[in-house]
Amino acid sequence: MQVLGAPVARREPFFFPMGVIHILILLLIALLAAPICGWADQGSTNYRDELIEQATIARLADAREWHLLLHYQGNLFGGVTSEQDDDGFFLSTQGKHDPQAELEATIESFFSPTLVGRSKQPAQCAFIARYHWLKERLGFDDSRLAPVACKRFEGWRAELNPQGVSLIFPAAFMNNPASMFGHTFLRIDQKGQTEQTRILAYTIDYAAELPPDVGLEYAYKGIFGGYKGFFSTPPYYLKVQAYRDIENRDMWEYQLNLTPVQIDRLIMHAWEMGSAYFDYFFFKENCSYHILSLLEYANPDLHLREQFHLWTIPADTVRIIVAQPGMVGATTYRPSRSTLIRRKRTFLTPEEQIFSKQIVRSPEAIGEATFNALPVLRRALVLDIASDYLRYKAESDDPEVKVYKERNRQVLTARSRLLVPSEEVAIVPYTEQPDKGHQTSRATIGAGWRNRDTFEEVSLRAAYHDLLDPEAGYTPNAQIEMVGVAFRRYNRAEQTRLERATLLNILSLSPIDNLFRAPSWKVNVGMQTIRHNDCQLCSNGVFNGGIGAAVETQLFKREVYFAFADAEANYSRAYEERHRIGGGGTVGMLADVTDHWKLMLSGSYLRYALGDKSDDIRWYAGSRYTLLQNWALRMEYNHRDRDNDVVFSVQAFF
Amino acid sequence: MKKLVLLAVVGAFIAMQAGLAMAATTGTPDTGPGCGLGKIAFANYPHAKTKGAQVLMATLNATGYNTFAISSGTSGCTDDGKWWAAEEKTTMFAELNSDALAQEMAQGRGEHLASLATLLGLPQDQHSAFFAMAQERYTALTNAGELSSVAMVKALNDAISANPVLAKVSLNK
Repeated sequence: MQVLGAPVARREPFFFPMGVIHILILLLIALLAAPICGWADQGSTNYRDELIEQATIARLADAREWHLLLHYQGNLFGGVTSEQDDDGFFLSTQGKHDPQAELEATIESFFSPTLVGRSKQPAQCAFIARYHWLKERLGFDDSRLAPVACKRFEGWRAELNPQGVSLIFPAAFMNNPASMFGHTFLRIDQKGQTEQTRILAYTIDYAAELPPDVGLEYAYKGIFGGYKGFFSTPPYYLKVQAYRDIENRDMWEYQLNLTPVQIDRLIMHAWEMGSAYFDYFFFKENCSYHILSLLEYANPDLHLREQFHLWTIPADTVRIIVAQPGMVGATTYRPSRSTLIRRKRTFLTPEEQIFSKQIVRSPEAIGEATFNALPVLRRALVLDIASDYLRYKAESDDPEVKVYKERNRQVLTARSRLLVPSEEVAIVPYTEQPDKGHQTSRATIGAGWRNRDTFEEVSLRAAYHDLLDPEAGYTPNAQIEMVGVAFRRYNRAEQTRLERATLLNILSLSPIDNLFRAPSWKVNVGMQTIRHNDCQLCSNGVFNGGIGAAVETQLFKREVYFAFADAEANYSRAYEERHRIGGGGTVGMLADVTDHWKLMLSGSYLRYALGDKSDDIRWYAGSRYTLLQNWALRMEYNHRDRDNDVVFSVQAFF
Repeated sequence: MKKLVLLAVVGAFIAMQAGLAMAATTGTPDTGPGCGLGKIAFANYPHAKTKGAQVLMATLNATGYNTFAISSGTSGCTDDGKWWAAEEKTTMFAELNSDALAQEMAQGRGEHLASLATLLGLPQDQHSAFFAMAQERYTALTNAGELSSVAMVKALNDAISANPVLAKVSLNK
């Protein structure tokens, strides 16, 4: 039918005078003739050219939506390059760099039934978001550009059954370098979903696909784009299992306020992205970056990725999304299994705690008369905590996994016989939600005394959080600092120098108690300025690593005590033979005095047996006061061998 | 330059711990069946390594179903974009969540149990009756579950039919 225009016009002169009947005859002839004569091609070619012209006049190739759909970013030469790295994503061979060529090729392919892309579908289906956007902007005439039925897409969308979208943030996980900054993905909330059944919803997740048996190349390739990143849609229950149950990470769910149209745009674009890949860059073009790009296409008024230049830290992307007016609705906390156990344990009386410990060790204790004297709901609570803990142990890499599973089975059998449902308990997180946290870059201005001199100091840190930084929103007891520099002006020595530099400074404290035992550890690579032998101000390269243990008390508010065995190597011209290597120990404590005020004390003794044979006694006392979410004050005292240093500073996070 | 230096150092650090997962979707070692579900889908999800899940994956792949890859092509498998049928979805859920389900059946409540009830077609107002039934029959159900999740789902369906309250409302047999 779409071909009638041209033939009718052409034949018109042969039929005169015109009347209704004539027109009907005409239509009939045209209809019968169309399949044989190949006018179809003629007509669609005309319409195709018409649409391309219309698109060119409307400058659609420059439209924000088009650039979002194709993932174009400005390049060094003033043009654009798509971040997409799969040839199958482009319909024009020039598509990666040429938005207009890709636009023309896309319009052209909509007229063809040829299967395109990695997913081998007609173009209207493979690139369904492009199709719908162009259809809306150019007002496609369905009679001249016949819409294709996209059964696969429709089936997929029906299974997702979308009603809303939530942003999910599993908190940082210190024992995997790739998860230290957290992760983000989207959950497609289903129609009719309840709080109890939302684990059935599907998610949209972007992650790198690693080959089996990755070796050392993992680090290099992960950082420099050596792996391919794909979108996938695992059900939420698998994500909950992986993050909450296995890795013991708290999860936060932010319900996003998207309109039905925006949700549909997001789903359609995810479908397009599903069969293509981006090179995965751990620091910038990572999981969170591509989740932002999906949200930007859903609502092109959002400008989210522009705020990230060299790296995209998941928690920062959460803060940016929360900062968009009206974008986030309800926030839900999903405690990790270890948080759950720690919190639930506080509901037990000392006597019940003893029962729970005994039952974990030997489930036969359930049969004891003293235990059975407890009210049924108390017995249920004790058994539930014991089962939580046994499941936690059964998921660990403990060699006794089978033993824990068997004990858990016994506990659960006894639990089922109580025939009462467990009471709901509210679990309060140990830290505030991530959007309440400070931003991850930090600038500091300070002044102080060192020995007989005074100085002013400025410093910058790229990322992320240290033990004294305001703790709201961050995993407690975990420090990751990357790339920091501090410059000082010494007034009497009349010297301006690079005082400190940090490449990487990670410290993870895992408080040990009678249920949880994990080592604490630290790594520090950087430089500082020391006074040693005859040198008053000498640069000193540091490589320090340590393993230790921590315990937590709540005598006042919250205190953590720690001890480390240290190994350290130093390089400086102040040393004989320019280096020294040795080991020793560190003890210290962290204390929350109030919600805003935190203290840290530590002392180390290190003895260097290689190179410059010497030893070192160090003391540190630090105090931080939080002014606002992104502002803090500090006072710090550093002592090492005849060298005393006091600094007052103001810190801003950005 | 500083960025490069940083990257190199971080790289060295990560290399020390190489072998750990980069993110959720890590390529699973080639011990499982085929592609599609077997690869990008189950990747590193812990419970995908159970024997039952492997068998199910093999079955599902053989019938061309593809779940988590979005529009196929990600795994090099041909697929027709279909999803699991309701029954397969229920079996898979029971298989992949067997530990959580056993615990929640014993406790008489929980989101996994509520989700299973939903997959079995029970409306929300029948969930507490379903929970009570599962708790009462805990031993029989988990024994069936140890055989296979197919057996457990069957045992649940049988128990629903035998239950005077639940039998009336169950939509999905």
